[in-house]
Amino acid sequence: MLEIKNLHAAVDGKEILKGLSLTVNAGEVHAIMGPNGSGKSTLSYVLAGRAGYEITGGSIAYKGEDINALPPEARAAKGVFLAMQYPVEIPGVTTLTFLKTALNAQRRARGEKDLDAMTVLKLVRGKAAELRVSEDMLKRALNVGFSGGEKKRLEILQMSLFEPSLAILDETDSGLDIDALRLVAEGVNALRSPDRAMLVITHYQRLLEYIVPDRIHVLSGGRIIKEGGKELALELEAKGYEQIIKDAA
Amino acid sequence: MTALRAKAAEDFRARGVPHRRVEAWKYSDLKSVIDADQVVSAGAVQWTIEAEGVEMIGAGDGGSAGAMGEASVAFATAGFGLRVAKAGKAKVAFATPGQARVRIVLEPGATLDYIEIAEGDGFQNIGMDVSVGKGAVFTHVRIARKGSGVRIEDVNANVAEDGIYHLHAAHFGGELSRLELKIALNGKNASAHLSGVGVLDAMHADVTTHVIHAKGGTQSTQLFKYVAAGKARAVYQGKITVAEGADGSDSRQTAKALLLDERAEADLKPELEIFADDVKCAHGAAVGDLEADSLFYLRARGIPEDEARGLLIRAFLHEAFDRVRDDLRDALWTAVEEAL
Repeated sequence: MLEIKNLHAAVDGKEILKGLSLTVNAGEVHAIMGPNGSGKSTLSYVLAGRAGYEITGGSIAYKGEDINALPPEARAAKGVFLAMQYPVEIPGVTTLTFLKTALNAQRRARGEKDLDAMTVLKLVRGKAAELRVSEDMLKRALNVGFSGGEKKRLEILQMSLFEPSLAILDETDSGLDIDALRLVAEGVNALRSPDRAMLVITHYQRLLEYIVPDRIHVLSGGRIIKEGGKELALELEAKGYEQIIKDAA
Repeated sequence: MTALRAKAAEDFRARGVPHRRVEAWKYSDLKSVIDADQVVSAGAVQWTIEAEGVEMIGAGDGGSAGAMGEASVAFATAGFGLRVAKAGKAKVAFATPGQARVRIVLEPGATLDYIEIAEGDGFQNIGMDVSVGKGAVFTHVRIARKGSGVRIEDVNANVAEDGIYHLHAAHFGGELSRLELKIALNGKNASAHLSGVGVLDAMHADVTTHVIHAKGGTQSTQLFKYVAAGKARAVYQGKITVAEGADGSDSRQTAKALLLDERAEADLKPELEIFADDVKCAHGAAVGDLEADSLFYLRARGIPEDEARGLLIRAFLHEAFDRVRDDLRDALWTAVEEAL
């Protein structure tokens, strides 16, 4: 599904990713863990195609296709989804209108017909109930006045609605209390599927108790320095990043 | 010619067309686009009016906010007046060059929805004198369509106790376009709530306000938002005066501009003049570009860049229509949609 080879990427001329390689197959959930400043968010932005995140070397293949030159909207239409660490607030655009606009934009880009408002509403309501996204949230302006938990739940609702092939979750656990975390994790687990790959980016091991990954990669200094199964999270928790980085050196 | 008109003509001739070295016209250099002869000999603007619940009266000859209001007092050769005793509605369209005087009188407790559309090219100058009686509510909607000429409206208003002046403006600019208001809140609990948007594509638009809290317990709010593209120039000057003894007055003003192009310019100037104690005055101004985070968020959800920009621009403007009555919002929003 995703094959990253020797990826180098720079922001404002400063190299952040320095030879990162990673392969995620369909049906797998991989976690990227790393200390602050290791390049975790940069990796998520590079994969989603954010302007200003420049690939200076290596390659990213998604379903065997080089997506480096594609704008973010084209990647979204092809099934790349990034659940953001800080979902933005947009006054004047209701959540439901935004969901319909985004869903139909993706469909149009794939040559599919627009869904009418009623169909979208039914689709959204079904998914909203599972994630305890209230009718009121759907009517309010996008993310405006939402709590941290509500914002993250809405991110997962979008993931469920857009049915991506590759889902990247950037620090989805940040700012969540334990109940909100559990609810979000349940939403994510429900979306695990043999056709879908997930990349869970996190600083803490806590999230991985709820979303159990197939593989864990430790990112430091823009490179993967250690890889392992789910037990690696516990080792990290026990030793701390500093020790793991020292061991790897 | 009455003495008032003669005096106004004399004053105008002495000062000439206002220009950028006159503080109130610093960002709108009228003299660079029009000369005194054009003002003196502009002739009568033509208008159409549909009205109900109003009595037609004379245009009168007094009251102006600034230099061009004074010019309309002196040289306008046409005009009309509306008096409302209970509930009135008027829809007015000014479609040609020329000048006019408009007088509006709301008797105590009356309401008037006054919806005006200014369009066409050339030099158009409307001077309004508005009297809002005790407990009366004046709702002033102004849609100034894009034009290649010079378009000015000058409003002098007096609001009595418990009276309300609502302004909702939508401006699309001209070679030079200006809405200038001087609103005096003369009685307890009188209020003025002014809001508007400007959507400018290589054009100029200026909103200049002066709200005078003459008595205590008066309130005013102002919210103006501009989107400026190309070589557009957006101007907002908002002056608030709180007179001596007008304690308990409350005023808020905000102006924001979104510059979509490096060549676009916004001049936002709030100004406070306070002679009373115990007043609340808040003001703010901000100029910026579309936020990169918001744009990326929408695009990462599959929304193409142009559409995402459009959504964010609408979201930015939206707040300025929050206080508009539902039945009036459509006309304003349709005009905005046409310009975007």
